[in-house]
Amino acid sequence: MMKELVPGFTTEFPGVKVDVQDVGNPAIWDKITTGLAAGGQGLADVLHIGVDYLPAYIEKFPGGLADLNTLGAAKHKDMFAPGLWETVSRDGKVYALPWEANSAGFYYRADLFERAGVDGEALQNWDEVIEAGVKLKEKTGVRLLAIDKAATQADSANLFQCLMQLQDSFYFDMQGNITLDSPAAVTAMTIIKKLNDAGLVADQGGGWNTMIGLIKKGGVAVQPMPTWFGGIIADTVPAEKGKWKVRLPPPVTAGGKVSALVNSTHLAVAGSSENQAAAFAFAEYVLTRPESQVHIYKGKGIAPALLAAYDDPVFHQPSPFFSGQKMGEIFLDSLRQPSYVTNYSADYPRALKLVDDAQSKVLLQGADPATVLRQAAEQLANQTGRKVVR
Amino acid sequence: MTLRARALAPYLFILPAVALFATFKLYPIVWSFLLSLFRTEGTVQSFAGPANYARLVNDALFWTALGNTGVILVVQVPIMLILAGALALAFDSALLRLRSVVRLGFFLPIVTGPVAYGLLFAVLLNPQSGLVNWLIGVDVPWLSDKFWARIALGLALTWHYVGYNAMIFLSRLQSLPRDQYDAAAVDGAGTWRSFWHVTLPGLRPVVLLTVVMSTIGTLQLFDEPYVLTRGGPDNALLTLGLYLYENGFRYFDFGYASAIAYALAVVIALLGVVQFRVLRDKT
Repeated sequence: MMKELVPGFTTEFPGVKVDVQDVGNPAIWDKITTGLAAGGQGLADVLHIGVDYLPAYIEKFPGGLADLNTLGAAKHKDMFAPGLWETVSRDGKVYALPWEANSAGFYYRADLFERAGVDGEALQNWDEVIEAGVKLKEKTGVRLLAIDKAATQADSANLFQCLMQLQDSFYFDMQGNITLDSPAAVTAMTIIKKLNDAGLVADQGGGWNTMIGLIKKGGVAVQPMPTWFGGIIADTVPAEKGKWKVRLPPPVTAGGKVSALVNSTHLAVAGSSENQAAAFAFAEYVLTRPESQVHIYKGKGIAPALLAAYDDPVFHQPSPFFSGQKMGEIFLDSLRQPSYVTNYSADYPRALKLVDDAQSKVLLQGADPATVLRQAAEQLANQTGRKVVR
Repeated sequence: MTLRARALAPYLFILPAVALFATFKLYPIVWSFLLSLFRTEGTVQSFAGPANYARLVNDALFWTALGNTGVILVVQVPIMLILAGALALAFDSALLRLRSVVRLGFFLPIVTGPVAYGLLFAVLLNPQSGLVNWLIGVDVPWLSDKFWARIALGLALTWHYVGYNAMIFLSRLQSLPRDQYDAAAVDGAGTWRSFWHVTLPGLRPVVLLTVVMSTIGTLQLFDEPYVLTRGGPDNALLTLGLYLYENGFRYFDFGYASAIAYALAVVIALLGVVQFRVLRDKT
């Protein structure tokens, strides 16, 4: 979608030639990592980086990403959803501009819920979700949701992570200490275990294709996925128009938070780039102009971090696929909430691997959540030299 | 041509090979050893002496990876080599029809790249939508259970390498001197005795070759477990190669990754020496 913005940019900035390369995920991480390790060799001028890798690139490759404050980034500070400027800043420097901002969501098959006599909107906490799941399975034979139980993909613990974020908690605290076996973590993993023990979790080993296959087959009733996933469901099963609904996830405990900014992506400028000013101008053109972001949203359903973009009517129209709900507004409400700033830290990839393993032990061998999380926290401390805070 | 030029000529001839070796083999070998003495986080490096090696000793995942590799070595490699030997005997048999077609069929898998056939097995063995479970009508949790994931890896490796090893055995079988069999027959040895006393001892050099090659291959195993399950579930297929890659390219800890590489090299060297001592020609 970024490609379609290039002609407009080159009219405004003649003399700058833009080549957008679609490297694909996760290949792009290997490409950027090896580029940074080689001192910037072979890197593009502008880099698309997710929140999960940004801190590692900032901390482990000093100078690898340009300080955008020197190029005038500061003026954009208040344009983006709350919490995101903190995510891209470190020690007074700004390393990227926010692009997409995804809030935790809860997409469900309203028709199946109705058949089971459950009101999806009314679910107040995850105990009620489990109860609803049991009824749903009895009445319709469909399982509540799916998890990649054997963790064949790195992102198989998305639901666990989201349940932690709904409690304003994460694998690391703001000081970078390990909080992987905090009470919030144990609560989150216990929910996962209860869901599984109740027979409500289908296995989606193999990642993306299996997940899409399950949606097509009608194998599960809920997709606890963030903003960007709505468009994917609508594209996958267009015939189920009007059968789906969307809401923010039920809080972990009654009255708790329903909003969580679960991930974001950003555009950074390579420190090795010889065209930093032009590169930054392009990032600005794409990310700070509402027109650009509205165009991308219309094409790909990518939710902008840029708040001004939401003035466009496209975010306020009823969505026929989601039973006439105003999907854009539902997620905008979440985005406007004061956000817990998640510290992914430079060791997120290590933490994620240990979380995946811990979740596999719980789901496949019935292990005790508190025990596996304590082991994971200790192993992470051993690998990284960080302190465990309990 | 002067005498001097004559003396120089052999060195000139080997120069290209030596230069290539020095650039692409020797330099990384030396450099990664130096790197293993540094604590690295991306491009941030500080000298750490043997700290990375000390870390290995206390790293549960390193030992898991070493243990997994050990299991494959002790279980999969012998099974595969015995199968390869049996296949070679069958290929050599005068009773076999369509000999070249059959041989080709068993040899062809080796032509497939490891990523390609890894993907093929991942699709075939997918517990939800795979062809294998559909055919056998049982929901075997291939890839999502620790035990079955190891079986799946063993199946894939055996399918890929058994024909290749059988060809090596076959080439040796066909070059065994006939007169030894004749002599055995004259002494009254039956099929079984001549297999035991003539064929098997004759195969010793290729047994050594295939055992050493399979050992090195197993210790360096990376593509197949990575494609099948990314080393999971719960590290059931984590190999040293995979753990090395994760530390280098996922965690940017190139120093520690280099230390793993050197630990691996030491293990390969030790096993190689042991195997040579046990299996070398005793005559």
